[in-house]
Amino acid sequence: MDKLNRIFNPKTLAIIGAKPEEKSVGWGLMKNALQGKSKRRVFAVNPHHKEVLGVKCVPSVMSIQEEVDLAVIAVPAKIVPKVVEECCQKKVGGMIIISSGFGESGKEGKLLEDKIKETARKAGVPLIGPNCLGVIRPGNLLNATFAPALPKSGEIAFISQSGALVDSVIDENFKKNYGFSALISYGNEADVTLADFLWWAVEDPKTKVIALYLEGIKEGREIMNVFSEVSAKKPILAVKAGRSRAGKKAVSSHTGSLAGEYPVYQALFKQTGVAEADTVRELFSSAKALAWQPKCENGIAIVTNGGSCGVLLADYCQELGVKLVELSEETLKKLNKPGVMHPAYSGRNPLDVVGDALSDKYKSAIEALLEQPDIKGLIVVQTLQIMTETEKNAKIIIEAKKKWKDKPIIAAFLGGPITAPGAKILEDNHIPNYGDLKEAALAIKSLIKK
Amino acid sequence: MKALGFKKTEQLLSRYGIPLCPSRLTVEKSEALDFAGEIGYPAVLKVSSLEPIHKTDLGLVKTGIKDKKELEESWDELNKKKIKKEGILVQKQLFGVEVAAGMKRDSQFGPVLMFGLGGIMVELLKDVSFRIAPLKKKDVQEMMKETKGYQLLSGFRSQKAVDLEKLIGIFLSLSELSLNESEIKEVDLNPVIANEKGAWVADPRFILN
Repeated sequence: MDKLNRIFNPKTLAIIGAKPEEKSVGWGLMKNALQGKSKRRVFAVNPHHKEVLGVKCVPSVMSIQEEVDLAVIAVPAKIVPKVVEECCQKKVGGMIIISSGFGESGKEGKLLEDKIKETARKAGVPLIGPNCLGVIRPGNLLNATFAPALPKSGEIAFISQSGALVDSVIDENFKKNYGFSALISYGNEADVTLADFLWWAVEDPKTKVIALYLEGIKEGREIMNVFSEVSAKKPILAVKAGRSRAGKKAVSSHTGSLAGEYPVYQALFKQTGVAEADTVRELFSSAKALAWQPKCENGIAIVTNGGSCGVLLADYCQELGVKLVELSEETLKKLNKPGVMHPAYSGRNPLDVVGDALSDKYKSAIEALLEQPDIKGLIVVQTLQIMTETEKNAKIIIEAKKKWKDKPIIAAFLGGPITAPGAKILEDNHIPNYGDLKEAALAIKSLIKK
Repeated sequence: MKALGFKKTEQLLSRYGIPLCPSRLTVEKSEALDFAGEIGYPAVLKVSSLEPIHKTDLGLVKTGIKDKKELEESWDELNKKKIKKEGILVQKQLFGVEVAAGMKRDSQFGPVLMFGLGGIMVELLKDVSFRIAPLKKKDVQEMMKETKGYQLLSGFRSQKAVDLEKLIGIFLSLSELSLNESEIKEVDLNPVIANEKGAWVADPRFILN
């Protein structure tokens, strides 16, 4: 999808419909665009205004002297065809149409949508939307949306049929440690489709994992092939909305797409290697694991200083089809040496190092388990006692990770503010940490090769 | 809703290598008796109709027919039924696990196949799974294992495991058929009888566009 490259890395960006009125869409687009002014020139296009946020307005895209890589269009729907026409004449690198009032709003809108699609296709200019939030490329300081802010840069490409959801994911991202290679709201897919974005993401060197929010798919047969081919190269996670009768009704009035039969979507995901997430939270907690850790064969071990957590995790793992490996004689021999473990340690997987364990116990346990060849991945649980060395434990995990690069390690340091410094060390070093055991189990499941 | 007649159904199944349990459609009692003699008892008689009807509910199926005398009685009873029929189907009664194989066309994804255990497992317990055509062998295996009823196929208590390869073959053929035969709107092969020797469709129903 080379044709999208100018859109994701523009040297010049024109906001058509830029406005000085605070809190208007045209103002928001301009404000976000200017965050990347060190990377590109930003033009404000509006014949009715002189200046927006210190940028002089030009009356039309045609009056810009330079080439325009990306044009973001936020003008009333009925003017959009004329603006698209001008952008095509100007040979812009790509267009994003934020405006709504197209296919999603009925027959008349559909006609408008067909018209702009035809213009764009004829000129060979890719058109994103209409009725979308736009695209964000944090690594390039590109925010071609009216989202609240620019999220962290990272490895997750979030491709969403909903724009509003993207906005809240961004806000939530401030208290998270994962980041995004791109955030894409694709709207009505008049020209550039979900399939195109998937092809782009699979080729994008910054993207390691693709996270999707879906309501309905337009070209079912085509998507089936795209999912299969893309997921063979990069993991895809998806949340499907419109699973119930009530949800389907809501979809038809939201994106106007056909939510379809949920069992058919479940079949689609299974057949094409797409992992389904139940909730948006799960979508990103699993995406974080896939962004930071390698995949592994099915067979894991658990280290914990709380027996209960081992029991709960064992339950979750079995429910999710994650295998707990039995400890080998060799591993047990290492652990049973005098003084290595607490006398009351569990001696089995989940390996309970007992509540008062200091970091040396964690170290011995983690190393012994990772040395066992058929243990392919590890979950390290920490509950908090008065003597628990949370930061030291985190550092031990990071050291172990350096030694066993191919084995994923996931942490579940449970707790609040006292645990937070340890959790921060973990995540700063790309060991995903989860405050909930089920989330940790789901994350390790997403790492298991099928 | 129009169903495909028995002759054409038989041809279609045979073209795709889907085994049908030994069957003959006839309107003559004597032919029914001859055929039953040929294939051996126990036999089954079914009214064959193009109407969308539930045969068992209407008492249009007679199973476990032990001999000639019972066949004659059953024939007379079914022949009296006031229903638009293309004839009465004489079948060999096979024993094994009853499986349901279905196909419906999804507006976005095309043919979607369904697997389930026959009878109440499908209708009451909704213990079914789906896959979109084309199906690979692995897809069929996975869709079977997804259901709780799979245990019955892989050998449960004293029951022997069924010939899974043959059963899988039916699904692969049905997948191919669904992709090729666009005039078929819906397929309901229920039941398919599977046992350790093979798998045969006992009641095929193809709905046309």
